[in-house]
Amino acid sequence: MLAQVLTRVALVVALALAVSLVVFVGRERLASLRTEWQPRLRQSAPAFALLVVILGLNRIMRQDGYDISQAYGIHMTEVFYSLEGDFVLLFRSIATPEVTTFFSVAYVYVYAFVLIFPVVAYVALSNTVVLRQLLTAYSLNYVIGLVFYLLVIAYGPRNVMIEGMDATHLYYASPEYIHLTTEVNQNRNVFPSLHTSLSATVAIFAYMTRDQYRAWFPVAVGLATSVIISTMYLGIHWAIDVVAGLVLAVVCVVLAKRLVGRWSLSAVFERVRAGDHTESVSGPDREQGEDGV
Amino acid sequence: MGVQRMSLPSDDVGADADADANTGYSRRSLLAAGATGLSVAASGCIDRVQSVVDSDTAEQVSLSILSLPAADGDRETAEIARHLESNLDAVGIDATISTRSESEFLETILIDHDFDLYVGRHPADFDPDFLYETLHSTYEYDQGWQNPFGFTDTLTIDRLLERQREETGADRERTVATLLEGIAQEKPFEPICVANEYRAVRTDRFDGWDENYLTTGSGYLGLESDASSDTEQLHALVTDQRLTQTFNPLSPTTHEQRVIVDLLYDSLAVPRWSVPEETEATDEETQAGEEVIDAANVSIEPWLATDWEWDGENRTMTVDIREDCTFHDHTGGDDTDADGSDDNGSESAIPLTAEDVAFTYRFLADTTYGRAASASPAPRYQGHVSAVDSVTVEDEYQLTISFSTDRAVAERALTVPILPSGSDSPWISHLESSVESADDDWSPTQGDWSIVTTDHAPPTGSGPYKYDSHDAGTSVTLTRVEDHFTLRDDDHDLPAPTADELHFEVDPGTSSSVERVANGDADITTTRLDTYALESTIDDDAVSFVESPSWSFYHIGFNTRSMPCGNTHFRRAVSQLVDKQWVAEEVFAAEDSARPVATPVAEEWVPDSLAWDDGELVTTFEGEDGDLNVDAARELFASNFEYDDGALVW
Repeated sequence: MLAQVLTRVALVVALALAVSLVVFVGRERLASLRTEWQPRLRQSAPAFALLVVILGLNRIMRQDGYDISQAYGIHMTEVFYSLEGDFVLLFRSIATPEVTTFFSVAYVYVYAFVLIFPVVAYVALSNTVVLRQLLTAYSLNYVIGLVFYLLVIAYGPRNVMIEGMDATHLYYASPEYIHLTTEVNQNRNVFPSLHTSLSATVAIFAYMTRDQYRAWFPVAVGLATSVIISTMYLGIHWAIDVVAGLVLAVVCVVLAKRLVGRWSLSAVFERVRAGDHTESVSGPDREQGEDGV
Repeated sequence: MGVQRMSLPSDDVGADADADANTGYSRRSLLAAGATGLSVAASGCIDRVQSVVDSDTAEQVSLSILSLPAADGDRETAEIARHLESNLDAVGIDATISTRSESEFLETILIDHDFDLYVGRHPADFDPDFLYETLHSTYEYDQGWQNPFGFTDTLTIDRLLERQREETGADRERTVATLLEGIAQEKPFEPICVANEYRAVRTDRFDGWDENYLTTGSGYLGLESDASSDTEQLHALVTDQRLTQTFNPLSPTTHEQRVIVDLLYDSLAVPRWSVPEETEATDEETQAGEEVIDAANVSIEPWLATDWEWDGENRTMTVDIREDCTFHDHTGGDDTDADGSDDNGSESAIPLTAEDVAFTYRFLADTTYGRAASASPAPRYQGHVSAVDSVTVEDEYQLTISFSTDRAVAERALTVPILPSGSDSPWISHLESSVESADDDWSPTQGDWSIVTTDHAPPTGSGPYKYDSHDAGTSVTLTRVEDHFTLRDDDHDLPAPTADELHFEVDPGTSSSVERVANGDADITTTRLDTYALESTIDDDAVSFVESPSWSFYHIGFNTRSMPCGNTHFRRAVSQLVDKQWVAEEVFAAEDSARPVATPVAEEWVPDSLAWDDGELVTTFEGEDGDLNVDAARELFASNFEYDDGALVW
């Protein structure tokens, strides 16, 4: 069943990707990829590697982290509930089967698309710094999110509110997606909402690149907003998780912009190969100019 | 003492006093017992009770209700907890719900004893003797399923618990009735309702599901497999990840472990249900339109034992066990599977003999096996093994067991899983290494030391299925034991394993499990379903919902070790905040799936005074249709506690 759902998500996202690349990126930039993709990916390889390592770590910790959070985690479910009360039930006032389907799709398909599209779109930019910043921001989101998951044990609204959750509940409306979400997320890991922080990260980057991808910016904001609202509509996250997710997104973008270009692996590599053992204080800055901004 | 007397009313125990004022001696003695129990419970908490007097330092009573997650756990439990929380808030108590995963929930209650009160299900049993383990003061400080409430009433409840073990027939019935009345007065826990269990099953690959047995391992034996389809593997869904991580039969914190333990281990005897014929069904049963699970319908029948004989006094039993049974061998690897019962397999396999049975009872009573200064009883099965006085091995396949109880209770003791005792035994080797690596004065924590908490993989039992492999948190696969006696011997009509393999896979919950059974992706939902699932319609003749009668009851459990739940009056008042009738009708979605109860035993044992409809000792809800009569409910508390500006203070 998981395999079926995964295949379907992969197919839909691939199709959406194909269409949107033509629409937002344009044939010209895509054509440039034919000759340029190799050097661009090589430049961004460290950022990709970092993300892969962190996703792997994330996966291990989601499983083994249970004992750690058992020992050091703080139970916050009731605190969140007493702070915000029935706020997320507000979204229930717009609940219809169609709206539920829309947000279920947003939570699963749109989210996957929103994360993958900008990676491809930024490879199509001649300057790789945005791509590397984006990948670094993804990594930071996961790392910081994971730390919070270990420290804060909280169940989402669907596990606390019973009345009013049925109709809008992903679990009741589309049980097949449960497999997907449990595969990537433990039910006690709700603070902060990574759906929110990653979608918002993409939206912020869309703003930063609005000159290159004019049409993508409003679309990204719209898609990210529906993903963010879906987390509350479906009873998966508290509003507090969403706010924390937004803060996390800003923090990650700021950090990523500061970090990227500061160290250059290729520069170190070059230096070692050239046998240049003299310490050069201005080394990193020089390299930043070369393959950075 | 003066302080304690303050909270004891002179001639009134609250709202139910009028109702039962004329029930005679038993009530009076119970009231006295109630007072005793209270003073015992309160004596450890003098300074907290004193604050009732000192109004300057009075603060609002606050309670934490332990419960399970609604969507990913047990929705009914969460909903009852929410009902209780809002009614506690209404009477001026600062109540909050603490949501915990199933295993944390059990660990907090059974091991840490760190709770005020909780809402949950108790496994219970067909025989009221499970109350001995649940409430006897000898287990006051134990960790595990024995007395999680820390309840002590040595003068009345303890004596009744002991007496009913030794009596038979009408005598025992009377004692049990008095005992149940006493428990209903003292309220170490308050039963809410008994709910049937529901599962979704497919009948196109495997058929012959017997609703009576699906709560036990027997439900997975004696099936009919459809020859025309691929029936090598029976695919079952469970919710609790722990079922695929730990296989320790002693673990108290793995809920619903019973099915897998039953399949991996043999016991001397098993409970068998005899379903009454339609024509023989009593009025009550016909009226309810379903099989009422009755103690009378259950008997303990030989399994690993071929037979047993009682001596004239019904205190000593001679048991013959089946010959040539072996414990599962995990050393041989995969080749033994292929060859099945070939000679190599049985030569290296460890035979199961009377020694193993003797070891099992001694080991469950003391998991240190006499190696530590004090005994360390297992956190499970204490009600069973406490009935056993001694076990004597007569020869390889015969033993005598002497009991401190009468037959009914004693035969229940035969249902514990038999563990291996030989030098290859994982229990022995664990013990040896623990003793070796420990200091001179080795004293492991009872109920929570490594032999209890270890995952115990691979598990070594002798049951009809053998552990094959597991992927922690995801699935566990068991394979059929080809030379298990149920397949090998033909001197019995016991159910034998049908499917070559049983594959238990973790699935997130009710709605997705039902969907997977409907898709043909699984044959059965082993974990019971939340009742809302029954409202869904599945357009497939091969899929049906099976209703299994159960003794398991939903209840509020109080931690009587600390105040305010250590106070009997407080527990009584809290019990009147739950509308059991409303819960049974509204929280449990399917019609007639739950029935409200005033006492936690099988229907057959319920005394008239505690019959739900008209029993004079039944605790009633202070309100109607789930809505609390707040003023009246506050009166219940006001007679023993103080209010300050609308908040209950102490």
